[in-house]
Formats: sequence, C-alpha cells, structure tokens
Amino acid sequence: MRVGIPRSLLYYKYLPFWKTFLASVGLEVETSPMTNRKILADGVKVAENELCVPVKAFYGHCLALRDRVDALFVPRVVSMEERAYTCPKFLGLPDMIAAVAERLGLPPLLTPHLNQREKPSEFKWQLINFARDEFGIDRLDAVAALESAKLAQRQFQDGLAGGRTPLDLLPQSRLNRPRRRKAAGPSKRIGLLGHPYNIYDGYITQNLIARLEEIGAELVVPEMTDHHALMNAATDVPKQLYWTYEKEIMGAINLWTEKRQVDGVIYVLAFACGPDSLIQVLIEHRARTYNVPLMSLTIDEHSGEAGLVTRIEAFTDMLMRKRREHGNVEAVA
Amino acid sequence: METSAITGYLGIDVGSVSTNLVILDEHAAVMAAIYRRTQGQPIRAVQEGMKELLELLEDRNIEVRAVGATGSARHLTGVILGADVVKNEITAHAVAASQVIPDVNTVLEIGGQDSKLIVLRDGIVTDFAMNSVCAAGTGSFLDHQSARLGIPIEEFGSYALKSESPAHIAGRCSVFAESDMIHKQQVGVAIEDIVYGLCHALVRNYINNLGKAKDLVEPVVFQGGVAANAGMKRAFEDALDLEVVVPIHHNVMGAIGSAILAMELELMPGESSFKGFDMSDLIYETSTFGCNGCSNTCEIVRIKVEGKTLARWGGRCGKWEAEDEAAAVRMKQASTP
Amino acid sequence: MKISAPHMGHLHLMLADLFQRMGVEYVKPPPTTTKTLQIGAKVSPEFACLPLKINLGNFIEALEAGADSLVMAGGHGPCRFGYYGIVEDRILRDLGYEFDFYMLEPFNDGAWKFYKLFESLSPGLSIRSLWKILKVSFSKGRAFDRLYKRALQIRACEINRGDTSRALKKAEAVLTAAYSPNEIEEAAAESMAILEAVERDPDRQVLKVGIVGEFYLLLEPFSNFGLEEFLGHMGVYLERSVWVTDWIAPNRNNIIYGYPKKLVKQKAAPYLNHNVGGEGQETVGSVVLFAERGFDGVIQLLPFGCMPENIATSILPKVQQYHDIPVLTLAFDEQSGRAGVITRVEAFLDLLSARRMKRNAGVAAPLEPAAAAMSERM
Repeated sequence: MRVGIPRSLLYYKYLPFWKTFLASVGLEVETSPMTNRKILADGVKVAENELCVPVKAFYGHCLALRDRVDALFVPRVVSMEERAYTCPKFLGLPDMIAAVAERLGLPPLLTPHLNQREKPSEFKWQLINFARDEFGIDRLDAVAALESAKLAQRQFQDGLAGGRTPLDLLPQSRLNRPRRRKAAGPSKRIGLLGHPYNIYDGYITQNLIARLEEIGAELVVPEMTDHHALMNAATDVPKQLYWTYEKEIMGAINLWTEKRQVDGVIYVLAFACGPDSLIQVLIEHRARTYNVPLMSLTIDEHSGEAGLVTRIEAFTDMLMRKRREHGNVEAVA
Repeated sequence: METSAITGYLGIDVGSVSTNLVILDEHAAVMAAIYRRTQGQPIRAVQEGMKELLELLEDRNIEVRAVGATGSARHLTGVILGADVVKNEITAHAVAASQVIPDVNTVLEIGGQDSKLIVLRDGIVTDFAMNSVCAAGTGSFLDHQSARLGIPIEEFGSYALKSESPAHIAGRCSVFAESDMIHKQQVGVAIEDIVYGLCHALVRNYINNLGKAKDLVEPVVFQGGVAANAGMKRAFEDALDLEVVVPIHHNVMGAIGSAILAMELELMPGESSFKGFDMSDLIYETSTFGCNGCSNTCEIVRIKVEGKTLARWGGRCGKWEAEDEAAAVRMKQASTP
Repeated sequence: MKISAPHMGHLHLMLADLFQRMGVEYVKPPPTTTKTLQIGAKVSPEFACLPLKINLGNFIEALEAGADSLVMAGGHGPCRFGYYGIVEDRILRDLGYEFDFYMLEPFNDGAWKFYKLFESLSPGLSIRSLWKILKVSFSKGRAFDRLYKRALQIRACEINRGDTSRALKKAEAVLTAAYSPNEIEEAAAESMAILEAVERDPDRQVLKVGIVGEFYLLLEPFSNFGLEEFLGHMGVYLERSVWVTDWIAPNRNNIIYGYPKKLVKQKAAPYLNHNVGGEGQETVGSVVLFAERGFDGVIQLLPFGCMPENIATSILPKVQQYHDIPVLTLAFDEQSGRAGVITRVEAFLDLLSARRMKRNAGVAAPLEPAAAAMSERM
C-alpha cells in the first residue's frame, strides 16, 4: 500500500519519524511536492476562507497526492507533550479533510489519534494500536518500528541542534535557488520566529530564508535550541502557554533577548493564526523591553514577493545602521 | 382624451451604488427601467428616479397597483414611497432570475459594492452567500483597475474578449492585485491579457469567497451591473465550464424582483399604500437620535416629510415602529366616519 | 477593593449578586456600546477575536469608572479564550493602568486554587460559606437563564411587538431584587408568570430556528446586533445551544439548553470526533440535534477567525447535506455592519419559509415567499 504524507504542517517537525515508522510497518511512503501555485490555489478553493494559509495549503497537498496514493496520512495530533496542545486546527484536521474527501475523491485517511497531554507514555500505545488496527502489525513489530522512527527523529533533531535547518535536512526542501552565502561585511544575526510549516515553506513565505541569506543575514532559528531549553525559557509568564508551537516561540525570544543572541527578530505570523494573534502582544512586549528590533510579518495567500523583499531589506539596513551607531558609542566609551 | 389606465407594478432597488426602478406590466414584462447612481443620497435618487420614470412612460396612463422595495436602503424607500412589500435584495434577485429563466439553478450577481451567489432548486432558494466586506469580490475592483489602466470600464469587455491567454493576476485583495498588475505591465504583458486576467482574478475571488461547498449547475444566470462586461461572462464560463446567461435587464434585476413580489400580493385596485409620483416634489428630512428607553441606547432613524414625522425605526425592541403603527391606526380610525 | 469583570449578556446580574454576597464592591462596567468596542479594538492586536476587543473596552471603561481590581475567566485551551486574561493584563499595563488582576481558572483545574481566588477577594471567606454563596447566586443565574430562554420562544408569537422585551425587563427587576433562597424561588415563579402573561397568538405559523456557535457571540446581544430580538420580531421561535449558567457549570449537563454535553458530542462524533476547543464540537452536534428535532434551520454565530468555529464551519456543509437542514453562518468583527447581517438573515428566513411551503405542499411551490409574516412590516 502506498501512503501519502502531505508536505505541510507537522511535516516540518516530524517527517523523519513518520516516514520511518510507516516504512517500517511495510508501507510505501510518498510525500507531496513542495508547495506551488497550483497546490495553494487548489487548497484555497476548497478550504474555508477564514482558515490560515498553511491549513489551506494542507488541503492542496492532500489533493496533490490524490491520484498517487492508496491512503492519506492525516494524524490527529492533539498534543505533543504533557499539559499542552498543538493547535485547535490540528485537532480538527482529520475531520476537516474527511468532510471534503467524498466531494474531492480523496483516498481513505489514516488517522492515528495521538495525545500526550494526559500521559506522555500513552503515545507508544496509541501507535501500537494504530499499527494493529490499520495494518494488522503485531506489538513487537510495532515497537521495533517505533524505535527506528525515534532514532530517525533523533538524528534529525541532532542535525537541527548542530545548526542546520529543516531545509537542509528534509528531502528536496532546498529551494531551487543558488545559495549565495553571506555577502561581504559584518553579518547581521537575525532571529527568525514563526511556525516551521510557514518559515520553511518557501512558497508560503516567498523564499524568505533564501532572501535573508542572500543579503548576508546569519539566521538564528528556534530549532537550533534544544526543545526542553525552549520550554524552560518560556515559563516566565503568570500562566503557562498551552500551545507547544507558541511556547517554543516564547522560549526562543526569551533566550535570544536575554543572551543577546540576535541583532533583530523577524516574526512571521499567518493571517488568522489564532494563537499567534494573541501572543504577538507578549512577543512584542519582550522585544521592546530588551530593546531588540522586531518586525512582524503577516502572511496569507495573497502576500506579494515584492513587498516582502522591500520590508526585509529595510529591516536589515536598519539593523546595520543601529549596529554602527552602537559601535560608535562603544568606541567613545 | 384620456386613455384607460394600464395596470403596472413598480419595483425599486436602492443600493449604495445604484438606484434602479422598473415598471412591469401585468405579465411581468418590463415597460420602463431606470438605472442611476445613488451618490450617497438615497432619497434624492428615488425622487429623481421617479421623475425620470414618469418621463419615460410619457403620456401612458399607468395605474400603479402595487409597489415593492429592496436594496440596502429598502426601509427608507419603503417609507417614502409607501411600498406594499419590502424585501431583502437576495430574495428579490432570486425572484427576478426565476422570472427570466423559470428553471434557473444558479444566480451570479455582482454589483458595485457587494456580490451574491444564489443556488435554487425547483424554483426555491436552497442556499446563498453574500460578500459585502471584500472590495476585490465586487464591481468596484474592476472600476479601480480600469481607471488604473486608463481604459473606460465600458470598453473593458471588448478588450477582454480579444485576449488569448489571460495573465495570472495574483491576489484576492485589490491592493495586491494592483501591484501584480503593474508588475505584469512592466514586463510587457499585452493589455488584453491583463484585462482578461483581471476578469479571471475577480471570478476566482468570487468563487473562492462565495462558492465554497456549493453545487453550481446550469442554467446559470449572471446579473448585476458587472454582467454588462462580456469579459466577465467569458471568465465565468471558463472557470465554471458552464454556459452563462446574461438577461437583457441584468442591471435592474433587483427592482424587477421587488416588482414581481409586489405583484404576487394580488392587491385589488386602491389597496396599495403607494404615495403616488408626487412624492418626488416633497421635502424629506432624515435625522437620528439616541433612544434613552434602556441601557442599549439604540440609534433611532427618524424621517420627516414637510416637518411631520413619517416614521422612526432602528431600535432593538421595536418600540418606535410600534408607536408609529399605532399612530397610523388612530389616523385611519379618525378619518373613517 | 472595587472589582469589575467584562460584560457578557446578563452575566452582570449574577455577578452583582455574587459580589454582594461576598461583601465586595462591584463596579459594573458601563453598558457595552459601539464606543466600548472602538476603545477596545484600538488597543487590541488586529487579528485577535472580537470578544477580546469588547472585553478590553469593558475593562478600560470599568477602570475609568473607578474599578481597581479586574477579574477574568480562564481556561486551558486549546482555544484562545483561556489565554485572554494574560494578554489583556499585559495590554492594560502597557497602557499605564494600575490594577490587581485575578484570573479565575475552572473549578475542575483545582478546587483549592479556585477557592483561594475567592478567598483573596474576600479575606476570611470560608470554603463552606463560599460554597453556599455560589450555590445561591448560581440558582439565581439559572432563573435568569430560564427567563431569557422562555422569552426567545414567546416573542415569536407576541401580538404587540415589543411586549416580550418589556415583560422581560420587568421580570428581570423582580428577580434581581430577590436575595434569600426562598425569595429567589418565589421571584423565579413570579417573574416567569410576568413573561407568560404576554399576549400571544397561539395560531401563528412560526419558523423554528436553532442558534449555535461561539459562546460569547451567543450570550452577548451587543456583539450580534441583537439578532435574537430581531428574529423574534420576525416571528421566529428560537432555541439556543449555549447559556450562561450551562457554560459556567462544571458538569456541563446543559440544564437550560436541555441536552447534556455528552449527548451533543455524541451527535457530533460522525463529523467531528474530537474536542477542538471552544464550542466547535457542540456547534456541530447541536446542528444535528436541531435537524433531528425538525427545526427549519440553524444560524451559526462566531467571531471572525474563531478557530473552533472555523473548524465547525468547514465541516457543516457535510452535516447540512446528510441531515437536510440549512445553516446560515455569520462571522462578526468590529467591521461588521448590521445591515449586511439583517439582509442575510431575511433572505435565510425566506429560504426557510419556501422550504417549509414546499414540504407542506408536497409539490414544487412557486418561489413566492410564504413570508407575508416574515417580510418587514412598515
């Protein structure tokens, strides 16, 4: 059986795990192509208008896999750790896709139910049951598949911790664009905040990463920091955030500002992203308090590339000038 | 010598962009139709429209049997004209479309400030959607872009029909579309292809905004001011892969619908509350005040004619409407011996 | 201490009662108006949902009116509401306001924490007396909800337009004045009798419409342009899936609504098989329930961009198809205009009457909207 993994949302965090797990239980795994105009346009056509652009793209990716696979892998990932949630839209995703499946002629969905909110150890059993119910795999084989999946995921995480991005580590993610490394002159350390499924999707964010590299920015991304360190750094609020993605973002900005690891921060939010629309207030407050320049970029399916380039150039120019002034101050002192 | 009166039905549709009036005969055929700009003055537009209508009818002696009002200013229009039926414009458009094509299944309507999609089955409305927020789904989108390109909007259609491959204009939003269009111009895309590309963009936006999870099947009627644009008709046919019909009176369909609704009341002569064509000479004043009846402090609209309050409305509890109704009843009782 | 909390429909009536019993001075925020929303929207993040913007407007107006302590309900996600308080606190402090902020987390999240919050508002309050206070206040809240629920049904048949709303005001005053448990019980009966006395036309043909969606939009008439009252005046019998006390009650048996949460979720399961926060799953389940009960149609209300409701909206076309029930979805933000909402609602009622006519006739009915009763009467 061929199973398709949409190149969207959780793909950018867990592809190695899922791909290995599904292959280990004997499936042929196919991923959808990188997001392109057709995929996004197809998604926009079917998805509710008020949904965020990455979820619209997810619909498009399911359509892109329609004629190539026997089943679509659309897990219900409720929670990736204790006392946390992913995002409501991830919780409802399998039902949202199922609601249009008949009309669009989509293949059957494979939907393991994964919830580590109450008890992280449940995860293992949820997967074992999934493998048994869907493919008749016995427990020992499922555990073996789980172990190799974990290993693959660990290698991926190690790569990230070593300073590489999901773009370097995931198959054919690198944009077809020559990588011009660092222009001459002092580089600017720019912290890039945002959900991996936005910032590493070159179509959705208009080649943002490549653009920044072209103008010689040294990119700092949350994935470079160990997940637990990010979580620990995000605990300074009176009430713990219950969205894992947002907690990572909070942790990252807290670390970056406290340790002066970046010269500026670009914060990419999807239009209609619920959690980000709120924590934006806290992120901006933090940056202001620590006097770190921050630019929020709201993206949707209509964002034009020209506008984006102008804004990131203006932002990096401003960082350069600021640094020069700062350097002068130091020289005087 | 006075000719015997012809029975007619008056329909009026007052929207934020245009004010349309029609007179239908007993067989729902259009005897006269007026399409004019509202220009932010609905009362004046109605008065001027009534005068124009009278001129069009010349010396034909019309006995207006019933009056219907629709459009965003239907309430106001209903009061000053004495309409017998006041209906929302979605229903009015559906009624008119089923008059033109009795088995119509899909109605596409694009006006200057809003757009609608109505799905019918066996003559009844089963689903609809309306966009009034996003300019890029309405006629004003094309108005803006045509001004930008320096092409009169009337010629837009003929340009679009010459195109062989429409340019892809990105963006649902007018602003994004505009920058994309300029970009396409700068790289030398033919003007016809840009114009047709804009039609495609509007159609795409329309379908994405309004057509979600709806079955769009033939017969399809396309109406509203924008339906005059042959490029838009072609773009809809491309996108839906269906034949699209544009009725002759496509720009006054709301008014036609409200006249038909008035006709369906089957009033006897003299039963109509129509105030006559003379209303076009009266002086109306509208004002608003805050009602202090409760903590809602609703804003109440008051309309006066010749210094006398004609009607008040707008509150949540319906108190002012009820008072006016009671006053009207008292008046009637007083006048009948 | 002068405490305040945001408005949400008739919640303030219950809060006033509760704080009085606790011996805390309650500053009722000025009634929510367009100005309140403008004040709130100005200081809110652009893409935050509408309730947060109105909350902030209420808070600012309450602070200006002398409140020095604010209380806000919490929650544990995944919807945004549970984190409103933290963000509102941050925004208000950035604006330079000084106040004490109290976040009331659900009872299920920890009974002790729940108690300590009330204790910090009213030092020395014992668990026993808190329990008693809550019980009595809550019973009063239930009585308010019952009145409002009944009004939605009576208004459809009232003979003199506005009678129901006027009776409701009177009934509300009677209940507000009641204090002891006995008085409350008597006042509940007396106020209901006031409402029942509204002169009605028992033979009127009414459309039955269910109202579902996000709780704030359902509970706060300001946010939905007083839609329920409007529908009532159009002669529409209404039932609604969310009520203040059902929403507060930890067991969620939905006494007022009449259908326990568990059942509603069961009805939703074939279409939406997991909680998605807010009322997303309840919205789907309630549409199924209303369809099964033979309602003519359902109206879904939500703040623009509301995540749980957007999920429900994405799924509802399938529910409509399987259960053959029309659903009108209305999303609200600070840009929404009343006229556009009313036009859609009127067209929706025309659609429902035409469907009913056709069903009754058993043959294709002409498009003529059976809506003489529905059309706006001048």
